[in-house]
Amino acid sequence: MLSIENVSFTYESGASALEGVSLEIRDGEFLCIVGHNGSGKSTLAKMLNGLLLPTEGTVTLDGMDTSDDDKLLDIRRRVGIVFQNPDNQIVTTVVREDVAFGPENLGVPTEVMAVRVDEALRSVGMEQYADSAPHMLSGGQKQRIAIAGMLAMEPEVLVLDEATAMLDPLGRKDILSIVKKLHDEKGITVVMITQYMEEALYAERVVVMNGGKIEMEGSPREIFMRGGELRSIGLDVPAAVELRDMLKESGVADLGDAVDQEEIINGICRSLLKN
Amino acid sequence: MFKDITLGQYFPVDSPVHRLDPRTKIILLIMYIVMVFIVKDLWVFALVIGFMLFMTAMSRVPLSYVIKAIKPMKWLLPIMFLLNLFMVRTGTELFSWKFITITTGGVRQALFIVLRLVALVSGASLLTLTTTPVSLTEGLERLLSPLKIVRFPVHELAMMMTIALRFIPTLLEEADKIMKAQLARGADLENGNIFKRAKAMLPILIPLFVNSFRRADELALAMESRCYHGGEGRTRLRVLKFSRGDLAALLIMAAMLTAVILLQRFLPFDHQIAAFVKGLLGVGK
Amino acid sequence: MPIVIEKLTHTYQNGSVNAFTALKDISLTISDGEFVGLIGHTGSGKSTLIQMLNGLMQPTEGRVTVDGFDMNDKKQRAKGRALVGMVFQYPDHQLFDETVYKDISFGPKNMKLNEEEIDKRVREAMRLVGLDFDEFAEKSPFELSGGEKRRTALAGIIAMYPKYLVLDEPMAGLDPAGRRAVLEMIDDFRRQLGCAVIMVSHSMDDIARSAEKVVVLRKGEIFRCGTPQEIFSLSDELREMGLEPPFAARMAGELRRRGMDLPKDIYTNEALVKALAEIKGGAHV
Repeated sequence: MLSIENVSFTYESGASALEGVSLEIRDGEFLCIVGHNGSGKSTLAKMLNGLLLPTEGTVTLDGMDTSDDDKLLDIRRRVGIVFQNPDNQIVTTVVREDVAFGPENLGVPTEVMAVRVDEALRSVGMEQYADSAPHMLSGGQKQRIAIAGMLAMEPEVLVLDEATAMLDPLGRKDILSIVKKLHDEKGITVVMITQYMEEALYAERVVVMNGGKIEMEGSPREIFMRGGELRSIGLDVPAAVELRDMLKESGVADLGDAVDQEEIINGICRSLLKN
Repeated sequence: MFKDITLGQYFPVDSPVHRLDPRTKIILLIMYIVMVFIVKDLWVFALVIGFMLFMTAMSRVPLSYVIKAIKPMKWLLPIMFLLNLFMVRTGTELFSWKFITITTGGVRQALFIVLRLVALVSGASLLTLTTTPVSLTEGLERLLSPLKIVRFPVHELAMMMTIALRFIPTLLEEADKIMKAQLARGADLENGNIFKRAKAMLPILIPLFVNSFRRADELALAMESRCYHGGEGRTRLRVLKFSRGDLAALLIMAAMLTAVILLQRFLPFDHQIAAFVKGLLGVGK
Repeated sequence: MPIVIEKLTHTYQNGSVNAFTALKDISLTISDGEFVGLIGHTGSGKSTLIQMLNGLMQPTEGRVTVDGFDMNDKKQRAKGRALVGMVFQYPDHQLFDETVYKDISFGPKNMKLNEEEIDKRVREAMRLVGLDFDEFAEKSPFELSGGEKRRTALAGIIAMYPKYLVLDEPMAGLDPAGRRAVLEMIDDFRRQLGCAVIMVSHSMDDIARSAEKVVVLRKGEIFRCGTPQEIFSLSDELREMGLEPPFAARMAGELRRRGMDLPKDIYTNEALVKALAEIKGGAHV
């Protein structure tokens, strides 16, 4: 379990990015952190594996404090982060070797490593690109390689720090379905940081950040019942929720807290076709 | 379309030379360079060139690719030739007119300098044509690893080379995009004198630098997240294997080097070889 | 006078083994003041096409004329280019000068306008993109937030008073509020400057909101060109191409399949709600 306790972060310039944030990330959960640019969500992401240390408060993984230098390597192995820019996280010139970069740093024996690398590439559907040069791949493919690079370290938590922001819609879909699969099949804890509200629908729990603080927290259903509040802090609701709210407002149909497309379609059919 | 550039000049075919361990190839090149430098005799040089051609044939790299590597020296070679021809004054005088004097020593020296340069560059390019930049870096890292004892940053150097190789295509692509963005704002990169043009490059260079620094920052974070902490305790996915082919290649090269040294020792003069060859031919008749 | 694209074909690395045809026989006219949405997959030829609109690339066949200026002709190209403002996806590829003010004035300066006119235009452009002059004019563009950088980059093009404004994914990477703001800004430019807008976007919803004409590219060819109603009623075809139709169009399609009688031209939530309200009203009567 990752626990963030009363964490504040102030940059050297004096600007404050986080103020008294407390959050527990449970093993095996799919958590989504949303917020507009500058809400502190990316600072929070970098706290999770000790890339940044809180100026106040503590971040611990199963009791190991990220400020403890001796534990840092272990924490980073167990908490993998995929960043926004696909180009800036691939280190070497051959896909297979890049995926091996983490295990190499951890001193994993060569034979074990080869198996892990192949398996990681298979999990993200990139095995046929093992010998390719990364710069020839698309953005979505590069992000898949970045995820594979994390998987090869056998992490417990996968953090995606706006990992889909620079991708086209197809690339974005790809990454989301891979992450969903990893969560469902391997039980990996997922922390997805995003500004795309549609992506929050994949999560079990949503945390909304604003001005360095946690503004709201709840299931996607609960959060998206509060469209007005979300808009007031520069966010949005998914198109499906917008439609649901408009239907309610105009008195056409009340679909409750439906967030899912299928649910909304069924709801519309139920309330209109029967008549 | 900078994306398509191939780095270095690796020629992807399968050959006995391609299959050699990069460490072997680097050692072969060093031995070859030594050989090129100790040769002081034109006839022995012919042998060295012949060996070079043999290696090229073995590597299945078209000779034209090796010659292409010499092309950038098309100005350097004649200049070196002429300089040596006129400046060196040893041996017998062949020609003299006012301040120009050409001697047998000058001709010899001029020929040698050109041959040495050609031999060196084509040998080095054969290495890069048959070895990918990645395995070359790895070979260097392994070969230099004894230097770690004297705290020479071998691993860091290899890591830097790898990252440079990884990012060169990315940066070229970015430079292309920046150039287009500024051209679209009416930047004039083609007209004006050299100072004006240098100044016109600023709108391209500044974003390129700023972005590169940001990239470096982000890459550092990504590497740290992947538990990078220097070369200590690192294992490698790829293990270099020294095979029988490597041993054979090294033995052949060693034999070659010994032969050259011996030939130099016992046949130090051109005319002796000439006489020897003439003798051989005479026998043939 | 419009931008006329005639039988445009472009092949990268023409004649080589790696030849790749990015555009095939594209003909299209962009009229004054029109808002054209350009959609297609990554690799559909969108970026090649827009680079040809202001002569950053020349086609292997066919031509583009901007208000009569032939963009294949080197001399006419400069005049044509001055009419077409081009905003690329990443502001980081464009911003370079010490201050926001200087950066925005780069384009107008290249147009050889006088100081007074430049100053007027920079102020106007900053006002249009919503950057407060006193607060931002003297700031370094590198200190700005992502959204502010985007605005500065836009202002740098707006200050050139383009007759045609080409935007490549202007909303990419912005948060929802930022996206809304940029879309509104673009509508503003159109109203106040009377320029035509050509917007490339992956997001059909963004295009659905403001375009008058939608062009769908597929593998370098125009798959369809028409009003948003015409294009978005082709939900199934778009989906097959891997393009996500606007949300409301998808919903309407699904509801139709379930037996609901909805008009074919629905592609916004507003229209969908209205149509559903009518069904409800009708059913009650």
